[in-house]
Amino acid sequence: MSRKRYWKSLDEYRGDAALTEQARDEFPAPPESGVSRRTFIELAWLAAAAVTLQSCNAPEQKIIPYAKQPVELTPGVANWYATTCGGCSAACGALARVCDGRPVKLEGNPEHPLSRGGLCAAAHGELFNLYFAERLRQPLSHGMAAGWDELDVQITQQLAALRQSGGKVCLLTPFIINPTSNEVCDRFLRQIPGARRVVYEAASTAAIRVAHERTHLFAGKPLYHLHKAQLVVSFAADFLSTWGDPVPQMRGYSQARDLRGGRKEMLRHIQFESTLSLTGSNADRRVQIAPAEGFDALLYLAKLSATKNNSASPFAAFEPKHLNANTRQTVEKTAEELQQQRGQSLVVCGWNDADAQAVVNFINQTLGNYGHTIELNAVLANSSDQQMTDLVKEMNDGQVAALLIVGVNPVYSYHDNEALLRGLDKVPLKIALNPTLDETASLADYVCPTPHFLEAWGDATPARGIYSLTQPTIAPLFNTRPWQQSLLKWSGDARDYYEFLRAEWREKLFPQQTKYAKFDEFWDRSLHDGIFVVENSPEPTPAFNAAHLNGAVERLDARAAEAAGKLSLALYQKVSLRDGAHAANPWLQELPDPLTKITWDNYVNVAPKLAEKMRLVEGDVVRLSKGATAIELPVHIQPGQHEDCVSVALGYGRTKAGKAGSNIGANAYPFVTFTNGSFQYETSGVAIELTGTKIEFAKTQTHDSLEGRDLIKEQTLAAYRQAEQQEAHTGPAQSMWPGHEYAEHKWGMVIDLNACLGCSACLLSCQAENNVPVVGKDDVRRRREMHWIRLDRYYEGAPDDPRVAFQLLTCIQCDNASCESVCPVLATVHSGDGLNMQVYNRCVGTRYCANNCALKVRRFNWFNYAHDDVLANLALNPDVTVRSRGVMEKCSFCIQRIEEARIRARNENRPIREGEIQTACQQSCPAGAISFGNLLDAGSRVAQLKRDRRNYVILEELNLQPALSYLTKVRNDEEA
Amino acid sequence: MNLRTAKIISLSLTVLGVFVALQGASFSWFNNHQGYAPAQPINFSHRVHAGDNQIPCLYCHAAAATSKAAGVPAASICMNCHSQTRKDSPEVQKIARAVAENKPIEWVRIHDLPDHVAFNHSRHIAAEIKCQQCHGPVETMDRVAQFETLSMGMCINCHRTHRVVTLDAAGRPQVAQEATRARLLASTDCAVCHH
Repeated sequence: MSRKRYWKSLDEYRGDAALTEQARDEFPAPPESGVSRRTFIELAWLAAAAVTLQSCNAPEQKIIPYAKQPVELTPGVANWYATTCGGCSAACGALARVCDGRPVKLEGNPEHPLSRGGLCAAAHGELFNLYFAERLRQPLSHGMAAGWDELDVQITQQLAALRQSGGKVCLLTPFIINPTSNEVCDRFLRQIPGARRVVYEAASTAAIRVAHERTHLFAGKPLYHLHKAQLVVSFAADFLSTWGDPVPQMRGYSQARDLRGGRKEMLRHIQFESTLSLTGSNADRRVQIAPAEGFDALLYLAKLSATKNNSASPFAAFEPKHLNANTRQTVEKTAEELQQQRGQSLVVCGWNDADAQAVVNFINQTLGNYGHTIELNAVLANSSDQQMTDLVKEMNDGQVAALLIVGVNPVYSYHDNEALLRGLDKVPLKIALNPTLDETASLADYVCPTPHFLEAWGDATPARGIYSLTQPTIAPLFNTRPWQQSLLKWSGDARDYYEFLRAEWREKLFPQQTKYAKFDEFWDRSLHDGIFVVENSPEPTPAFNAAHLNGAVERLDARAAEAAGKLSLALYQKVSLRDGAHAANPWLQELPDPLTKITWDNYVNVAPKLAEKMRLVEGDVVRLSKGATAIELPVHIQPGQHEDCVSVALGYGRTKAGKAGSNIGANAYPFVTFTNGSFQYETSGVAIELTGTKIEFAKTQTHDSLEGRDLIKEQTLAAYRQAEQQEAHTGPAQSMWPGHEYAEHKWGMVIDLNACLGCSACLLSCQAENNVPVVGKDDVRRRREMHWIRLDRYYEGAPDDPRVAFQLLTCIQCDNASCESVCPVLATVHSGDGLNMQVYNRCVGTRYCANNCALKVRRFNWFNYAHDDVLANLALNPDVTVRSRGVMEKCSFCIQRIEEARIRARNENRPIREGEIQTACQQSCPAGAISFGNLLDAGSRVAQLKRDRRNYVILEELNLQPALSYLTKVRNDEEA
Repeated sequence: MNLRTAKIISLSLTVLGVFVALQGASFSWFNNHQGYAPAQPINFSHRVHAGDNQIPCLYCHAAAATSKAAGVPAASICMNCHSQTRKDSPEVQKIARAVAENKPIEWVRIHDLPDHVAFNHSRHIAAEIKCQQCHGPVETMDRVAQFETLSMGMCINCHRTHRVVTLDAAGRPQVAQEATRARLLASTDCAVCHH
């Protein structure tokens, strides 16, 4: 393995002296305050006196048991319920941990055939959304609190009047993959003549479905089997972060790249993109292209694929005009590689353009990938972005008499906001069925609040033959009602949605199985598993139809010509806020972006070269404009960005997203264009000008520099195949410590850097599990963020086009721990099973341990962080202490889970089983990068991985003897 | 009010507070609630139930065998017997009413560990520790009082005596032979209770 120079920030790359100086200190200089030392001590005495008086009597506490004991509930023992995540349309399988009647954690359901136990960051954040105090608590009628009965009467009357008068009724929904909800919509629409449904996706991928309608005459949504692929070529598709169904894709991707257990083959990934995406940062070969090159590269690849397979194509006459020599050569090489992997390759494209998607379909068809790496699934109700645009037009023409909005927020996210607002004004009856009073719901006449998915019944079918159930894990906290039930009611069906759901399953799914003779048995089993898989459901195999590609070449070519030589803007989604639906969630707001490490903000990503040319520095606020559309945002200089392209994250700039999410960043949706029948998230001809103001980002990295140390190890696949054993270790052989003896367990963790994709789901999972507080933007700036996991991102190579590596870092539980030897009060000591215990009740807050920690993974409670929201406190894990001010904390390897398993095993008089303990980060890692177990058991997975030849420990020269070790990153590319 | 006045007031208040507290019957040293025996909403006697009638502790506090919490029984558990016996007692009628109205009884908590202590009842029951070891002779108490200090010193004294762990050939943990507490595997690692 060669030593490479990794760098974290551009300042470090240039060798900025001030940064190096600043980085020496673990804690920054305290901010100035108006209180002198003397006043402080005097006030402290006052406080002490008050405390003394109070402590004489213990406050009386109550124990309130149930009046009637529920059968399945034991106080203090958690129940687990299988359900379906409602965070996005991927509908991953989830398990909810319910303690004493309240859900406190979401984990992945390992039995779900697609997500297979993985869960993303946004899904973990859903727990916060359940206890979100600013959710609507009762229905509203014209802004005033109302009762359901009153509302139902009024709405039913108005709908009846419309039925008479023939007024147009429109139901606006998100992309629905819930069969029973779909049925409810259909029934509702059937009983009003002329009523129709429009599907609205803020960050749309409708073009993929539209393209399949054209090329396969089948309104299908593709399901990508990445685990079957040998080569994936992506054109700006961020499929490991937000595009498509990220968790199943991450699962498949890392499975295909898994080298653990002696495998020597892995999936190769080539990414063509102008901005640096999370997916691109994981690619074996990332090809940085100019925005104008994108369509040409795609078309050229299609042409080459057609030629190689001797198939007739409309691309024969195409000649790429905008490709530079380098890109052209890479495309040719890629075509060659794809040809060798026919049937086991995959081409995906992130542009929401039906023409581009049709070309992608052509390539995949030519390569014979359909039926192997791509499976087409029929969708419940197809949609296109055209419908939404038509709706806005009709609203403006005064043709829409009633609009029912279900769970979408177009007032925030529709690009032509003015037209939409004007149109909404002309709609006489507006009903919103949203959980919060967001931008759209606040304009509605009637607002019917909907429950959180953890309070509701539901189902989903994420792919052919796979059905999952959503079940309530807590009684509704507020006076809410499922939107399905409202629609049923307004269609004259008085049934409860639960009854309706059961009836639907009895009628439609129960006959599709033979295992259970009684419906109740089938229902109970499906509810228990959370999933029902239909055996032998036939895969649709629609034929390819190339005729509809006509005209695509010319249209794409024209757009490439339009972008040439201009500054382009690419809009993207972050793993945290996605399309903005999660903006109200402070956990997600404070989640550092995996690449920029910035929290609580969006910004304009600018290439280093462009920044130099325009004399922009990090944090400069610029005015980004195209025509009349303009927003002001700070600049982030992003290595790896193409200089002709700037990018801005969607999802920010909400105005009605509660205390945490409102007015953070700027709304970039106005830059979305409606071109060629789709919402397009790339636009050319934008301008940037300085405003003269400057802000400081709240970043969690570049606080401490790398000092040239060899923390990340990386090798090529060829080198890995050749190497026979572990690289010689360089650590000192001698130790000044006597060492530890372990009787039964020595907990260890191995993180496969080759699997870790940087998605940050582990951070949120840890936050929910371990009651980690949110500190806010100012305190992140002061380096006081509390996340126990740090996901370090390193660049390597020139700033214009660097390679990226991620390293998940948390307390590595050293045997020779530098923290333990300096604590004056023995608040951090070594346990009998190899953990560095942090004892909160002993800690007096000297912070010596954090100063002496070689990895800077300790976190100090500078304040008593907000736990005054009674409702939000319900999300706290009762098995983990809520730390108070002045106490140090850090990763405990989820000691509460270890203890729980240990007690269970000892009560049953047996050893702890392998795999019985899963840490929070490990359990839901979509990539399966984390292994945890007993290092003393030679047969355990973690012990085997410890012997893997890719295994290494961090800072080996310090002889820390950590319990956490890494497996090197392997790039499937000839260049190291 | 300037700082000086504030200091004087606070100091005098402190002295006064200590004086009052020393006089009061409820005074105890900080965090030691030994002997705390508050009145309960139901005049329930453990002496009658656990002493005279020999009802096992785990009949009512069933959760103790499987959970970290011992749990106060739901009112419906009381009615398992009292739907037949002593139906005329006013105290039993209170319970019957609670069940009928589905309105839980608010018992006053006696044994309370700080929030940073994770104590697990099931482990101690499985290790055959008698309830009385920590809770005292509850079967003799008409009104339950806290018997032990429930301090860390009390826990650790017991844990220190029973901590030797070895593995047998099958890899099962074994304690150094102790006649009465063969299945006790007490650890003195801080994080076993503090996490």
